Amino acid sequence: MTDVSSPPPPPTGAPVDLGHLTQAYSASGPPMVEAFGVTKAFGDVIAVSDVSFRIGSGITAILGPNGAGKSTLFRILCGLTPPSKGRVEVLGRDARRDRDVRGRIGLAPQQDAMFDRLSAFEFVEYAALTNGVDSAETRARAALDYVEISADDPKRVGAFSKGMRQRVKLAAALVHDPEILVLDEPLTGLDPVQRSRMIELFNDLAGQDKCLLVSSHVLDEVARLGSNVLVIAQGRLAAAGDYHALRDMMDDRPHRIRIETDQPRRLAAAIIERDLAKGVSVENEEITLDTTDVDRFGRAIAPLAVELTAHLGSVAPLDDDLESVFRYLVEGR
Amino acid sequence: MTSAEIFDRGYRRFEGTRGGRGSAMRSVVWYTTKSILGLGRKARHKVFPVIVAVIAFLPAIIFLGMAILIGDLLEGELRPEYWELFGFSFMAFLVFTTMVAPEAIVRDRRDGMLPLYLSTPLTKVTYLISKGTAVIATMMIIVLGPSLLALVGFTVQGMGPDGFGTWIETLAKLVLAAFTIVVVLGAVALGAASLTDRRAFASVAVVMVLLGLSFFVEVMVNGVDAPETLRLIDPLNLPFEVAPRLFDAKSEPFVEVSTSLVLLGNLGWVVAGVGTLAASYRRLGAV
Amino acid sequence: MSASVSPLRAIGLVHGLLIRQLLTRGRILALLALSVLLGVVSLSVRLSDTLENPLRSSVEIFDVVGFTLVVPIVALVFAGAALGDSREDGTLVYLWLRPMDRWPVVVGAWLAAVSVSLPLTVVPLGISAMIAGVGEGLLMATVLAALVGVLVYSAVFVLLGLLLKNSIIWGIGYILIWEGLIAQFGSALGKAALRGYTRSILANRMDIDLDGFSEVSTASAVAIPIVVTIVALFLAAARLRTMEID
Repeated sequence: MTDVSSPPPPPTGAPVDLGHLTQAYSASGPPMVEAFGVTKAFGDVIAVSDVSFRIGSGITAILGPNGAGKSTLFRILCGLTPPSKGRVEVLGRDARRDRDVRGRIGLAPQQDAMFDRLSAFEFVEYAALTNGVDSAETRARAALDYVEISADDPKRVGAFSKGMRQRVKLAAALVHDPEILVLDEPLTGLDPVQRSRMIELFNDLAGQDKCLLVSSHVLDEVARLGSNVLVIAQGRLAAAGDYHALRDMMDDRPHRIRIETDQPRRLAAAIIERDLAKGVSVENEEITLDTTDVDRFGRAIAPLAVELTAHLGSVAPLDDDLESVFRYLVEGR
Repeated sequence: MTSAEIFDRGYRRFEGTRGGRGSAMRSVVWYTTKSILGLGRKARHKVFPVIVAVIAFLPAIIFLGMAILIGDLLEGELRPEYWELFGFSFMAFLVFTTMVAPEAIVRDRRDGMLPLYLSTPLTKVTYLISKGTAVIATMMIIVLGPSLLALVGFTVQGMGPDGFGTWIETLAKLVLAAFTIVVVLGAVALGAASLTDRRAFASVAVVMVLLGLSFFVEVMVNGVDAPETLRLIDPLNLPFEVAPRLFDAKSEPFVEVSTSLVLLGNLGWVVAGVGTLAASYRRLGAV
Repeated sequence: MSASVSPLRAIGLVHGLLIRQLLTRGRILALLALSVLLGVVSLSVRLSDTLENPLRSSVEIFDVVGFTLVVPIVALVFAGAALGDSREDGTLVYLWLRPMDRWPVVVGAWLAAVSVSLPLTVVPLGISAMIAGVGEGLLMATVLAALVGVLVYSAVFVLLGLLLKNSIIWGIGYILIWEGLIAQFGSALGKAALRGYTRSILANRMDIDLDGFSEVSTASAVAIPIVVTIVALFLAAARLRTMEID
């Protein structure tokens, strides 16, 4: 058991260095956001488990299904909640303790809550003022312009649509020109046109040498956000790197499957004969095999068993967790 | 030729018998009761009901303890009438009332559950009847519990009412008295709570109506010598006066008020509470 | 590029924002209704010709209605909601992830609650005291006691709002069960109830004995709540520093 209050333990795994994958990030420059073996537990539930990475400027997409721990990870990065184990550094500091670094982070949180009684302009101007910006009014107008919302709309943000609120939140997050932008599911609730427009904005910001962390649970969005991806599944870092390379790797990766049957030898022979799998081995009443095309194998195995009058006990993938991440990446579900 | 087709993807339909309105109402009553008492919820939801129950039952337990320890000595002046026990636990009832009504109805509005309930066989009326039933049921535990405990306890000690007929009569009067208190306080609290969709402010509203009017009447009658009939607009103390009237007594503050006025006043408060509740929910429109 | 926000500036910003968030028409009307009751009572005191000791009656009335109900409840509604609402609806992050220290946020929230509560308590109580027409003494005593009461209750309830969900319900529990019931049983317990100090101020200034509650000198009755206020605000700042934000 690690004492949380003592100096953080040395990182357990080597951080995944994503810097070299981002064009805008010079290899000699310092990383902007670093996580060292971050773990967060809520009671018995492990929300984030031993996550390490190092990120430079540009867009990094955090991909994962709902409940994978993306928001928790963002909350830890921004210092909103302390990690149970490990530590994070944003621009070399801890946002939970260091007052000034908080002014260099812009967070658009996932929750919909805003100060509902303010107008969009007041809300964004308030974000500027509380971040110590000098010319708050000018900057607030500029930020709202940037997300294409009228600064003169007297309507309260409480009466705004979801898409407009998302954009006001983004304006408030970037009004003080922070180096780090943490955007939690910024594209949900937007229509396709707004979505494209937002992604343009993100790329624009990334071009200004800012570090953007954008979370999403939709594969298609991530594909358009840029090449840099962290995949989070069940609180763990499941994959990291260039989006296209990851996808290729996953497509080629063989899957190991175990089959229980009363006629293992006959079935195994037939599988090899029809080229459904490689590396087939038989032990007692179990067949273990590797396949690169799970879908084809899945469709073929049952008819094959019927044909051989073999009884199938069970057909189960052995690498279930990675399997689900894989399916997630490829099929977007 | 049609170019589209809807596939049966094999989703299972519910094929059991559907419970209908009665079953829906029973479910609402049961789950509201559980949520008020904190059953099946985290420990911190149980703290408040437990504190209230302790305060409510404490006087009855103390008197029972004394009866067991000193027996007959308790007879006479020291021994409270059964109906007086309601007054001893008065603060517990008040606190419980401020919690129960908001918990029962306000949360559903805040969480957007009300439209879901209304998509079942429930209508606004049957929904509110179910919620009211849950409020009355839970409050009966706290209000009737202590005097029932005292009645049974004293009887076991051989100090209960003489004869079976008297015993049953005492029981019936206690139940009726408790029911009056619960219905009046519950109706007023539900009415006050229906004015807002935030639980915290609903509790404040209940306190303000019950305690505010009660204090107002108290100082008007005691401080400024206003007529005692002004007590009819005190929704907090008025229902408690029904208990002594059932036992052919009058409590000090209400000596000059006739029994029929007391009953009429209580009826008025029930009508006011239910009326406010109905008006609030009618205004909620097509939710 | 942003710089850190000075504490004074931060207090002003939080204060200004929360006043707007707290002041809803419903709350103001409801709480004013409470004060109207007090006005009616005061008017009756004035019109009544059967009172043996109008001054004593008035003091008792203000003690019961003003300092058991109006002051604590008004303070609870606004102070409990000041940071408690932000915390529950998830907007606290917009005050938290900022280059500001923690204590100015707490002080700003407290001042916002006080700014809203004071006019809603001191003014109606003061007007009622004047209506009662029993002399200027009652006016001064009421205003002083209400001022002290609002300051200290607000600080305690700001802290409560950061500590507990449903802080307003626990606050009602405190006012009714602790101050209204348990604190009546002994003087040691009574000293742990804020109400003992407001009513001590009232009783001392008016030179009238009130039942129950051990009384303390006016100086202590002002000094102790101020200490409680400071301690509560300090704890609230510490809590804001260490709590988890949604």
